Amino acid sequence: MTFPLLPGDAASLAVALAIGAAFGWCLERAGLGSARKLAAQFYGRDLTVLKVMFSAIVTAALGVFWLSRLGVLDLARVYVPETHVLPQAVGGAVFGVGMVMGGLCPGTSCVAAAAGRRDGLAVVAGMLAGVLVFAEAFPLVQPLYESTPAGVLTFPDLLHLGYGATVALVVAMALGAFAAAERIEARARGWG
Amino acid sequence: MSARVAHRLLAGAAAVLALLAVAAGEPRNRSVDVDRLARIVENEEDHVTALELAGWIRERKPGLRVIDVRGADDFAAYHLPRAENLSLTALTRAGFRPDETVVLYSEGGTHAAQGWFFLRASGVERVYFLRGGLYEWLAEVMNPALPANPTARQQAAFDSAAALARYFGGVPRTGVSAPPADDPYAALPSRAPSGEAAAVRRIRQRGC
Repeated sequence: MTFPLLPGDAASLAVALAIGAAFGWCLERAGLGSARKLAAQFYGRDLTVLKVMFSAIVTAALGVFWLSRLGVLDLARVYVPETHVLPQAVGGAVFGVGMVMGGLCPGTSCVAAAAGRRDGLAVVAGMLAGVLVFAEAFPLVQPLYESTPAGVLTFPDLLHLGYGATVALVVAMALGAFAAAERIEARARGWG
Repeated sequence: MSARVAHRLLAGAAAVLALLAVAAGEPRNRSVDVDRLARIVENEEDHVTALELAGWIRERKPGLRVIDVRGADDFAAYHLPRAENLSLTALTRAGFRPDETVVLYSEGGTHAAQGWFFLRASGVERVYFLRGGLYEWLAEVMNPALPANPTARQQAAFDSAAALARYFGGVPRTGVSAPPADDPYAALPSRAPSGEAAAVRRIRQRGC
């Protein structure tokens, strides 16, 4: 039998909710519900965000690879979003501006809001307002939204590498980033 | 245990799992790239001829696995040298190594071709099927035919095939009239008019 072990949309949604809650709990415990913590990332004083996110990527990459290699996870049923170059570049820029202004990203804003932080509540309200505006204005932005389609792109296909080699590359990058982050933080503490 | 030691242990575990991932081969159940498979079929890189397979078996090609996807009774009645019997449902669970070359065959070729697709969809790369199945094996390897008044090329091809036939205990035929183009196996005495069991019975009667 392969994942998802629970049949039906309702059961899958319940699993997704549980995973989301666990992810939120981890973010909160790592201190990522604080905009100050996220802002410190950009000053090199506290690279917790980078370490938490890279840890999540490494865990997911190794977990998905080995579960699928052992036949537990059906990779064919894992959805890979299609790439649209221009709209995703625009979306990334809007995301970046919003993160600089709010000090939080969508996931951490939910964590901050759940922890009762007012700035988190404000960012979540802004995010929901943005979703509403986007949905209402969709006919206007649809040409941009659907432009420059590039299909489903994955690193193994783009780099002409095997899945295992790609996973190893990502893990090597993460371990290098962890080591570099420790040094940058130590240097920042020395300056402080 | 200090946090620093725990971090180093986790980093070490991730590094070990990543290195093993490089050697572990491709994950199973990858999405099927039907465009790529279609190109392979169009380029006729999905199958081998009976003569090619016979050559591989005779020269003991390293890593060769010949798989008979027919039923166990039919396999017991007659099968190719070195063949092993795996049903289509058992095929994808068999677990082939990346260095193995898998050749599937069935009586005609349809089931073997379907098995080829199942294995390719499961991520097995070096897999082929015998396009004409057992019929082609019997006609081309066990009973190669030399037409009357052969050309030099036909004679050379027959000499090569006859050597293979004798190696596998077959009987080359000479002076055979050319079969109709739409039914190249018509002259083969073992050709089954209906059903697999009848074909196997005829094969056994002929003592192959």
